[in-house]
This record gives sequence, structure tokens and C-alpha cells, in this order.
Amino acid sequence: MAKQSKIDHLLFLIIVALLAWVIPGGGHFAIKERKRGIIIFVTITLTFLTGLYVGSVAVVDAVGSWPWYVAQMAASPAVGMIANITRSGEYVSYGRPFDIGQIYTTIAGMLNILCIVSAVYMAYCGRGEMIGDEENDV
Amino acid sequence: MTFEPAILLATFTAPENIGTTPQSMLWMFPLLASIAIIYKATKMRVLLWGSFLRSATILFCTLSVFMVLSAISLKIIVWFVTG
Repeated sequence: MAKQSKIDHLLFLIIVALLAWVIPGGGHFAIKERKRGIIIFVTITLTFLTGLYVGSVAVVDAVGSWPWYVAQMAASPAVGMIANITRSGEYVSYGRPFDIGQIYTTIAGMLNILCIVSAVYMAYCGRGEMIGDEENDV
Repeated sequence: MTFEPAILLATFTAPENIGTTPQSMLWMFPLLASIAIIYKATKMRVLLWGSFLRSATILFCTLSVFMVLSAISLKIIVWFVTG
């Protein structure tokens, strides 16, 4: 019985991690940390979109700059769809806009890694059950 | 596709015009704000809007001051080396 509970808990942690990756802030939302979830979603999405706006979708380059792409992918699996669009080489970006766009999108991905770890840790500690109601009272 | 979404999507297909000027360094400040907000959102045990905004602002200012001081230090080093 205890073993089953451990497996359930592990499965829950994996689901929280996946949710946090698929939608930034989704992991925190799942463990009733709604304010955190909204703040994370808005901030990471805006940071990523700012990068795309400044440098264009060409900053997501899975072939030419794959180390950056790995970090960008941490923002969301949806980045893979953008990489498919840019793979044709139809969109180009150079110079300072490319640098700024790449830095923004990569930092957004790395910040999401921090949020994934935070959501999983909070779920592991039972934070959602502990302070989820408390957050609503404030 | 209607007209407005086409324009919206088009803004993401061409890069903005930003030159290699000292002013382009100002682009780091929105990024510093994002880092400060996310760091505080993950670190604070209980999230209250007032204390969250205050501590995120303090962290943003600290990061900004550190970055400006770093830039000044690097500028002085370059001035000594090249001047």
C-alpha cells in the first residue's frame, strides 16, 4: 500500500514537471499556487515573446545554434514548432537584434527550468496542500 | 486569415532595427526585471502582492546597480589599456 502511494506521488511529481514545462507556471497552478503560476506565466511568456519580436522567429535555430536552442526548448515544447518553421531558412536575422532576441528567448527557457524545479520541489514538500488555502484567504 | 492577425504575425518574422550603439544596452533592463520577478516568485514562501512587489523591485534595483557598476569598471579598464 505504501509502495503504491510512493508510486502515485512520483507520478504526481512527473505530471507537475511536465505541466510546468508545457505551460510556464502550469506546475504551480496544479499545486494550487495560483498567484505564482500567473506571475510565472505572464513573465516568461512576455520575455520569450519580446525576444521573438526583437530578433524575429529566426532566433530559434535548431541547426545553426543548437546549444541556444536546447535552452530555448526549456521554455515550452511549442518552441519546437517555431524551429520547424525556421528550419527552411526563410527567415533571417543578424547583428544586435539577433543577439538580443536569442538572449531573451534563452533566458526565458532557463528561467522556466528554475520554475520547473521550484514547482516539483513544492509538490514534493506538499506545499500545495499546506498553503494553497492560505493563499486564497489573503 | 483576417487582416489584424496577419500584421501581428508579420511583426515576428522580421527583426527590429537596433544598432550597435550604447543605447542598445538598455535592452538588459527588461530582462533584469524578468529575472528578479521569477526569482522572487519561486523563492518567497508565502506570496503576498505587497511584499512580493517590494522585494522584486529591490532585487531589480540591486541587479541594475551591479550591472551599471560592472559596465563602468570595464569601461575604465578599457580606457587604461587602450588610452
